[in-house]
Amino acid sequence: MAMEFVLSEDQVMLQSMARDFMAKESPRAHVRKMSEDVVGYSPELWKKMVDLGWQGLTIPEKFGGTGMSFRDLAVLVEEMGRALLPAPFLYNAIFGAELINDHGTEKQKKEWLPKIASGEMVITPAIIEEDGDFWAGGINMRAHRRGASDFTLIGTKPFVTDAKAANHFLVAARTQLSDNHEEGITLFLVDGSEWGIYVKPLETMDILRKQFDVQFTRVAVPGANVIGAVNGGWTILEDIALKARAMLCAEMLGGMEWVMNTTVEYAKTRIAFGEPIGKLQIIKHKCADMKSALEYSRGAMEWAVEMVKDNDPDAPLAVAIAKAYCGDNYRFMTNTSIQVHGGIGFTWDHDLHFYFKRARSSDTAFGDANFHREVLAKYLDKQMGGATSRFGGM
Amino acid sequence: MPEESAKMVAFRKEVRAWLMANLPKGWGTPEYKMPEAQTPERQKMAMEWTKKCYDMGYTGFGYPKEYGGIERPLEERIIIREEMARTGTPGAPASLGTLLAAPTILQWGSEMQKKRFIPKILSGEESWAEGFSEPNAGSDLANVQTTATKSGDEWIINGQKIWSSMFRFADFGVLLAKSDPQAPRHRNLTFFLFDAKAKGFDRRPLRQMTGEAEFGEMFFDNLHIPDNMRVGEVGRGWYVAMTTLAAERGGGGGGGMGMGGQAEGRRQIGAGVMDMVEIAKVTKRYGKRVWDDEHFRQNIAQICIETEAMRAQGMISMLKLRAAKQPPGGPEVSISKNFSAEMRQRRGELMMDIIGAYSQMMRGSPRALEDGDLVYTHVRAKGATIEMGTSEINRNIIAERILGLPR
Repeated sequence: MAMEFVLSEDQVMLQSMARDFMAKESPRAHVRKMSEDVVGYSPELWKKMVDLGWQGLTIPEKFGGTGMSFRDLAVLVEEMGRALLPAPFLYNAIFGAELINDHGTEKQKKEWLPKIASGEMVITPAIIEEDGDFWAGGINMRAHRRGASDFTLIGTKPFVTDAKAANHFLVAARTQLSDNHEEGITLFLVDGSEWGIYVKPLETMDILRKQFDVQFTRVAVPGANVIGAVNGGWTILEDIALKARAMLCAEMLGGMEWVMNTTVEYAKTRIAFGEPIGKLQIIKHKCADMKSALEYSRGAMEWAVEMVKDNDPDAPLAVAIAKAYCGDNYRFMTNTSIQVHGGIGFTWDHDLHFYFKRARSSDTAFGDANFHREVLAKYLDKQMGGATSRFGGM
Repeated sequence: MPEESAKMVAFRKEVRAWLMANLPKGWGTPEYKMPEAQTPERQKMAMEWTKKCYDMGYTGFGYPKEYGGIERPLEERIIIREEMARTGTPGAPASLGTLLAAPTILQWGSEMQKKRFIPKILSGEESWAEGFSEPNAGSDLANVQTTATKSGDEWIINGQKIWSSMFRFADFGVLLAKSDPQAPRHRNLTFFLFDAKAKGFDRRPLRQMTGEAEFGEMFFDNLHIPDNMRVGEVGRGWYVAMTTLAAERGGGGGGGMGMGGQAEGRRQIGAGVMDMVEIAKVTKRYGKRVWDDEHFRQNIAQICIETEAMRAQGMISMLKLRAAKQPPGGPEVSISKNFSAEMRQRRGELMMDIIGAYSQMMRGSPRALEDGDLVYTHVRAKGATIEMGTSEINRNIIAERILGLPR
């Protein structure tokens, strides 16, 4: 295990290849076209990514993947965040490839991982419910036993991302009622073409990461599609959520860099009162604050990705820090950028609003900054143990 | 974190044992009484401690051997730094030697200057003061009015400096003076080293809002400086000073204890977060434990987030500079200087919010918490965004020199 914050030659190559790919295959015209498409992604583009080995980037070679690391994946996803690539890539990589590789049986890995790598299987998570929060207490949809080992799913999952682009759902449902919310949840990989699944589009603010209601009306799921232990799904979700959050941070960083560069470029070229607005200290200082937010977010993100990659005991801490900080800073940067841009920044035609909306959707996903500050507070609480201290007696 | 090799584990043990054996008697126990800051006793103790560490090869990194530098692999330096932080060893003497004089002399000085001054800065034997700001030249530093007039192979200095850090015990000083009143701005200044014991130099403390005097005023009344104490070319002093200031903001870039000020800042701030949690847990406001209040808990967590982001960014940028074989101390230090200074203030404000009425109790009061350190830290932090380049000047540097916005 080594801390590898400096990109290797291979990572630099991956980064520049990804950047070229986005520019060529997913230019702004494509992004805008997809924003108005109900499915929101292009199967041809998906296939081209398969040819580059991206869907299977972290899948071991013996299961048809490329066998690269979580850090490599973060390098790639950062470029997708910069380009706002409209594809169900991130969650498929985490709730498909990573989840099955980490928690699936040998049989499941053998069956599913090659299909993910080949682009045939596209998986999206259907976990949270009406309260909108990622926590065990929010998961109330029922999965009833059906025979010895099979199950029937009944209920609705809202806020399901890319539900029309994906063809499989990673569903969390309750198989047992318990006083402890964290017990009795089971994870199912559900084929989207099963009878009884209805996908209803929801008008979504982040129009490049569309959300849907997915209704399960007595959907049969074979026991072979249970991932992990029956009733033991929550610990797996907690574990995989760390990966999702770290990867969302990487994606956010790409967006933040785009926002930074775009804002500086505008400040240099936009003339007001006879000179570039970037000559004004008020604009300079806004840009300087954005730069600072960007640099420290990168520090937090790279630390988190590295900790998760190494499965370090500090990973939950590093992820809580990064997710809270990147979420806050991405929002800060897009807010500031729109203000620096003035009127043009408020138009539909400028791309800034996509980033502004993505910043909010990324912050909300899998626990926002407030949530993660509480996670961190719990950690600090434990660090202190019972406080009997020199500060006593107040 | 990666696991340490057996060799490094052994080295850590060795450092730990040496520190235990050599720290002042009673160190780390309540019986130990640290001499008050800004006193000759404190300075003497710090100088002796630094010399001890230097002789052991535990400080003085980042400089060539021929100028007294200590060579040691980075891994070992980090271990030394960590062990020193763990035991909270006495700091270096009050001096801008490692932070400012040594990096400047190394980059711009003559061979004589490097050989004469750098070794004794690294060993802590000689202390340095800074002479840049003037009553009418603070953020607008190029407006320096102190004059340097050439006379034979000497320069005659007249004028006044203010906000001079570490002025009190300085054996030498660095000085920016106007050597050519006719030349255009930024081309009219020259950078000098001067002997603080020479005739024509006087100093006076400047009391600050904490009540003490870290900074001073320095007066030059026909001070004679030999030409071989000039650093860089005549008229190029502005450029020499700019690199110096970048080094200062970066916290000693490459010098000092080896890791630069980022690591130093981490130790203080890291402990600061845990102190804050501890205080929030034992403090009640309106009958309710502060830690049980979500508003306070969120704000404390936010300070922790910023602290850790700063630590991670500092480590990563150091590794990246090393990989690119670039020295630290570029305009990027303006980012970290501002961030840490502004965070110190946010932390101070939050701590005062937590302790409520106790935020009124200064050092010496029987009701003061931590002998008034919390309150002192809060008041002292107000200077952090002004000294070493105001936050506004640093934001200009970030915007112009990093982002390339027009001047």
